[in-house]
Amino acid sequence: MPYTIIDTCTGCGACERICPTRAITGKKKDVYRIDGDLCIECGACGRICPSAAVKDRFGRICVMVKRSQWKRPVFDRDTCMSCSMCIDACPANCLELSEAKGPKDPHGHPRLKDERACIGCGFCEAECPVGAVTMLVPVPKDESRKSKPAAEAAR
Amino acid sequence: MNRGYMGRVLMVDLTKGDFREERIPDEVYEKYLSGIGLAAYLLYDRIPAGADPLGPENILGFVSGLLTGTGSLFSGRWMVVGKSPLTGTWGDANCGGSFSPAIKRCGYDGIFFSGVSEKPVYLYIKDRKITLMDASHLWGKDAIETEEILLERHGPGARVAVIGPAGERLSLISGICNDKGRIAARSGLGAVMGSKRLKALVLDGKKRITPYDREAVHKLSRKCNRWVQFQVPLGPSIGTALIGTLLRVLPTAMAMDGMVYKMILRQWGTGGLNQMSPEWGDSPVKNWKGSNVDWPLKKSKSADPDLVKKLEFIKYHCYSCPLGCGGKCSLTGKYSETHKPEYESVLALGGLCMNEDTDSLFYLNELLNRAGMDTISAGATVAWAMECFEQGILTLDDTDGLDLRWGNTSAMIALIHKMINREGIGDILADGSRAAAKKIGRGSEKYTVHAGGQEPAMHDGRQDPGFAVHYCVEPTPGRHTLGAQLYYEMFQLWKKVRGLPKKLPFQIYHKNSKYRATEKHTLEAAACSKYMNVVNGAGLCMFGTFLGITRTPTFDWLNAATGWNKTPEEYMEIGKRIQTLKQAFNVRHGIDPRANRLSDRALGIPPQPQGANKGRTVPIENRMEDYWRHFGWDPTTGKPTDETLAGLGLSVE
Repeated sequence: MPYTIIDTCTGCGACERICPTRAITGKKKDVYRIDGDLCIECGACGRICPSAAVKDRFGRICVMVKRSQWKRPVFDRDTCMSCSMCIDACPANCLELSEAKGPKDPHGHPRLKDERACIGCGFCEAECPVGAVTMLVPVPKDESRKSKPAAEAAR
Repeated sequence: MNRGYMGRVLMVDLTKGDFREERIPDEVYEKYLSGIGLAAYLLYDRIPAGADPLGPENILGFVSGLLTGTGSLFSGRWMVVGKSPLTGTWGDANCGGSFSPAIKRCGYDGIFFSGVSEKPVYLYIKDRKITLMDASHLWGKDAIETEEILLERHGPGARVAVIGPAGERLSLISGICNDKGRIAARSGLGAVMGSKRLKALVLDGKKRITPYDREAVHKLSRKCNRWVQFQVPLGPSIGTALIGTLLRVLPTAMAMDGMVYKMILRQWGTGGLNQMSPEWGDSPVKNWKGSNVDWPLKKSKSADPDLVKKLEFIKYHCYSCPLGCGGKCSLTGKYSETHKPEYESVLALGGLCMNEDTDSLFYLNELLNRAGMDTISAGATVAWAMECFEQGILTLDDTDGLDLRWGNTSAMIALIHKMINREGIGDILADGSRAAAKKIGRGSEKYTVHAGGQEPAMHDGRQDPGFAVHYCVEPTPGRHTLGAQLYYEMFQLWKKVRGLPKKLPFQIYHKNSKYRATEKHTLEAAACSKYMNVVNGAGLCMFGTFLGITRTPTFDWLNAATGWNKTPEEYMEIGKRIQTLKQAFNVRHGIDPRANRLSDRALGIPPQPQGANKGRTVPIENRMEDYWRHFGWDPTTGKPTDETLAGLGLSVE
């Protein structure tokens, strides 16, 4: 069951711009529509819609989330097996394989190439068989710096 | 219901330039799986009997596996299928990389091409929009250059499969590349793509691949991954070479456990056997005439696994592979990097031609990858030309002045350039050794080593008769990735499938027992063929399945991904059905299965006077008959009987 757009749509076009499969079409200031054949249920349209006009696969209205609060993948290098399943799963092509660290770890590992391109769909997390990908809300940079010593002290 | 497969294939008619989507009923998947089985099911009726492999009637298919994208490991293999121009038989070639999931993400289990395009084209699929685009500007460019241009144009999310100049020039030993140097090389299917004037496929789909129970698949994958990650440092590579020597000297052999091979793959890649293999007689030397005596450690040192590994700057993993046996190496000179030369390439361009120059192995590997030519067949053809030159059949006049003495590296490089460009003698050699011998004549035929026209890989049937049997009996002759006695030991199928002979890991047996033709040997060979058809239907990598059926749970993965509840025996029956269908395909196209017998020299007729395989002969006639009888094919002709076809639910014409 694909996502759908209801009449409250104001036609701002935000969903069309973010949809990774170009499933959403429409005219500005008109109700947009989703091509069910192309929709991959990533939920990006629902998260970005300012007028609560997107229904998810269960028919529930999606709630808008501030883009900076969207979840992003965090990779655990120790459990990662470099199989690149996550890179293939990403519909926004925002992951890439890193360079090898050296002879001790000659395998490349996935990393977020383009933070702004990530649509927070979590497909990478869902498709990783070993649970090396976790979707987390990013912590603002200055805050993370502050919290680091605290985390270390807690250890 | 989600069952891991997409349920649709795309049929492209290049003559008319139109596309047709076809729904595949669930029963077909239950009977043939996806991948190679689905392809055999579709192409059996659709390629008319006697079709010209390089004509419009031949159909070229790109198929993905049933398990690809479901969360199972080792499932990144895609296969190219069609009628082979090299052998005239059923042709398939198998390749890793990242192209396999790309086929499914476009919503298809396979993409099939018929007809011939008027001008060079490439297929581009994005967001369900299918277009044939002009490829005139790409024609003539090498595989890697073309891939870079197409990725530049269509974005980094696209996946590309492409032919190089060898395929364009219809070289019968050409293949199809992806990921800048992984190549589906065997069976000459690059020429089929070239004959259709199809330069490339560019796929950029985003469809989700949904298995029946993803958590169950993941659970099995986690367990498998623990085995893959278990690694003991194996020390310097000279150790493997000396083990090879030891295995040669001892009168006994030992059943292998796949974990040992896995550790070699993890440390060095397939090249871990570069020195060990010629030592114990697994790799042919000097166009199958020589032995380890001609290729001692001092000479094989040119392909020392540690030496090769020194140039590797990153490991290369195919899609969904936790092992990463590939690698990328930095080079100096014309090309700055190359995929780490695989075992087959190294031995075909090294020992088989007596070439001791390490740099040339890297250079030729990259050169052939870019040209889209099979390194095994190219190496074997050059080795054959060298022997003809040494025997005086080819003279300096014939070779355009190239001094093709054994091991003359510069002449070899020049000859391979000529083969790619089809210049002078290269034009004759570009179609493989059988076709070349036919053109040259003068008794050169007796130096060719092939099965049904395809040069066998660098695994010697005189060391492991299983290889020889599979080179001869398989519907795609000359392939080393379908079975062997060694593979049977590593698959450990007896742990799951009832009625198969046990061969416990590290069990010691006398070498002579390998050369008998008993019921046990037949069961082993048949089990390998059936299982590999299941593996190729699932899209799994053979190296992954070497871990053994309990550690790489092929059958359990299939059940979890599809929601079926099939027993291992039922899956083996599917394998048998696919094998029989492929054989029936050959019979329909007028192939005499007996003619696919391997050349005498590679069977030990006459036996070698010295070296690891001294005095060894493969009892091939008995083995072939037994194999055919086991499958319910006529033991004298190798043709599937009507009762067998009916019993497997295959239509009889």
